[in-house]
Amino acid sequence: MKGIKNILVYTLLAGLFITGRAQAQEQPDTQYNDYFKVTARPDTTSIRIGEPVKIGITARVVIRSLKGANIKVVFPNLPDSLNHIEVVERSPLDTTGSTEDEKYWKQTLTVTSFDSGRWELAPMKFEVFSVSDGSYDSVFTDPIFIDVNTVAVDTTKAFKPIKPLRTVAWNILDYWPYLLPLLLVITLVVLYFAYWRKRKPKAAPAPAKPLKSPYETAMEQLQLLEKEKPWNTDVKLYYTQLTDVLRHYFEQQFHIAALEQTTAELLQNIKPVTVLNQQRDKLQHILTLADLAKFAKLQPAPHEHEDCLNKAIEVVEWTKRTAAAQTEQSLTGTNQ
Amino acid sequence: MENTSYDIRQLNDKIHQASSFVDILNMEINKVIVGQKYMVERLMIGLLAQGHVLLEGVPGLAKTLSIKSLSSAINARFSRIQFTPDLLPADVVGTMIYNQQRNEFMVRKGPIFANFILADEINRAPAKVQSALLEAMQERQVTIGDTTFKLDEPFLVLATQNPIEQEGTYTLPEAQVDRFMLKVVIGYPTKEEERHIIRQNLQPEGQVKINPVVDPADILEARKLVRQVYMDEKIEQYIIDVVFATRNPEDYKLAKLKPLISYGGSPRASINLALASKAYAFMKRRGYVIPEDVRSVCFDVMRHRVGLTYEAEAENVTSENILSEILNAVEVP
Repeated sequence: MKGIKNILVYTLLAGLFITGRAQAQEQPDTQYNDYFKVTARPDTTSIRIGEPVKIGITARVVIRSLKGANIKVVFPNLPDSLNHIEVVERSPLDTTGSTEDEKYWKQTLTVTSFDSGRWELAPMKFEVFSVSDGSYDSVFTDPIFIDVNTVAVDTTKAFKPIKPLRTVAWNILDYWPYLLPLLLVITLVVLYFAYWRKRKPKAAPAPAKPLKSPYETAMEQLQLLEKEKPWNTDVKLYYTQLTDVLRHYFEQQFHIAALEQTTAELLQNIKPVTVLNQQRDKLQHILTLADLAKFAKLQPAPHEHEDCLNKAIEVVEWTKRTAAAQTEQSLTGTNQ
Repeated sequence: MENTSYDIRQLNDKIHQASSFVDILNMEINKVIVGQKYMVERLMIGLLAQGHVLLEGVPGLAKTLSIKSLSSAINARFSRIQFTPDLLPADVVGTMIYNQQRNEFMVRKGPIFANFILADEINRAPAKVQSALLEAMQERQVTIGDTTFKLDEPFLVLATQNPIEQEGTYTLPEAQVDRFMLKVVIGYPTKEEERHIIRQNLQPEGQVKINPVVDPADILEARKLVRQVYMDEKIEQYIIDVVFATRNPEDYKLAKLKPLISYGGSPRASINLALASKAYAFMKRRGYVIPEDVRSVCFDVMRHRVGLTYEAEAENVTSENILSEILNAVEVP
């Protein structure tokens, strides 16, 4: 019986030992109590000098065990430099793994070392406070050992030449910081020119060249008056037409604003035009008689109508040579 | 047609004879007035066309002497009213005075009861007095108390004003200025004229005396003839075109003037332009109006009837500039 009892005791002890051993092997870097578990797991324990090691540190609190108590967890506050180990980066706390039953925090530390050898990252202390009753507890992680190796150099071999520059394949995306402003500028310029062309007033169509010269037009109209003899029906209209023909001729041929000038002004303004000034007396006679017919209801004698018309033809004929020369000059100028 | 032609010739002859006094009047006035022919000519136009004249110019240009000489030459009564800031309407038109002996109110007529009035520096009096004068000018009658008095004909008001930039002046409102047929801007005489003026004023025997050469009745008769001066419909159309060009310049290819003109000539401008043209033709001893007549009076008739915008004033554009542009653009018949 005593033998059986001993066998049972040893079997139980062996079972406990095996179970504990198995748990220790599963979570070698984990410390925990009933409700609070922490871990620290490196992604590698062997690096070359300067290579990073990411260590994930987690804390897990079982809410059910707390029975409503409000707790606060404090993560270890590592300095930037430890024993031969440098803390390169600390990620923010991640709580996405929390469930209804437990609270979960995770942080990733990136560490490295620049000294070769085997270095220890000491156990990290997690603290837990009860906000409700002010009680305090702490848990440590297991230490982490990191082997930092130097680059292996085969000294038996000769030095190798320096490698030439490697040509990187051309990729348009490498140049986008330069191309984008350039494209923007080109677009703006194109848009501006498009707007400018739209705004630019269209060039007025070139005035159609008169088919006839002012001299020809004037002579044609005077000959028409001679043929139709309008003085037989309306004297006032005849003198209006006669003076209009002359005024238009002076305006087109000699650029005198004759249509907007009175008789006195016109006689004054033809003075600089020698060829016209030579015919001043005839013009004065025509215009004065026309004024009387137009504005004073004067009925000139029948022979005066034809006399005025002949004088008008003489004036235009007199200026023919000058007019022809001017027309030719203007045409030459236009062609050039 | 023949009859009409004959009528015009008859009228022409009649006017040729009737207007001979203009030369005599001019000769008499020119005995004391040296230069300023333009001003005297405009006074005559006002006299013949029954329109009042506003003169603008600096002091000392013989404005008073001209109208005084004109009234002396016509044998008419002349009075001068010096407009001051404290002048009252009663000082111009007259007032009722209580007569203790007769125990009744009596009318004391003011200086406006004359044939020729010189309203000197009209823009120095407040608007109340200006309007009293201008009302009398328009109605040609004055009411004092309960009695209305007709003013004697010929009745011509010659008002002078200093350039409005001067201090202490009350600018005449547009509506009041429009009642003047002509606004004449007087300039300085030439060197030769100035030499004559000095000699004439310093001669030992003193100023030459003006003799009455025309009777007021002749003027009234001449006024009737002026209205008979023939104006062809072409000339009427020309006058209308000029006045309309001040209102709608864009219709006469003068769109650039549109922003410079705040208001154009009124129908009163057309009437006065036609009447002044007839008077000018009469003075030139013609029985009909020609475009030259219209153009020669156009500036004096229109310059105070074309309102300028602030833009025009900022660019130093004057109403004369605008009128020049218009006359150069509107076709002469």
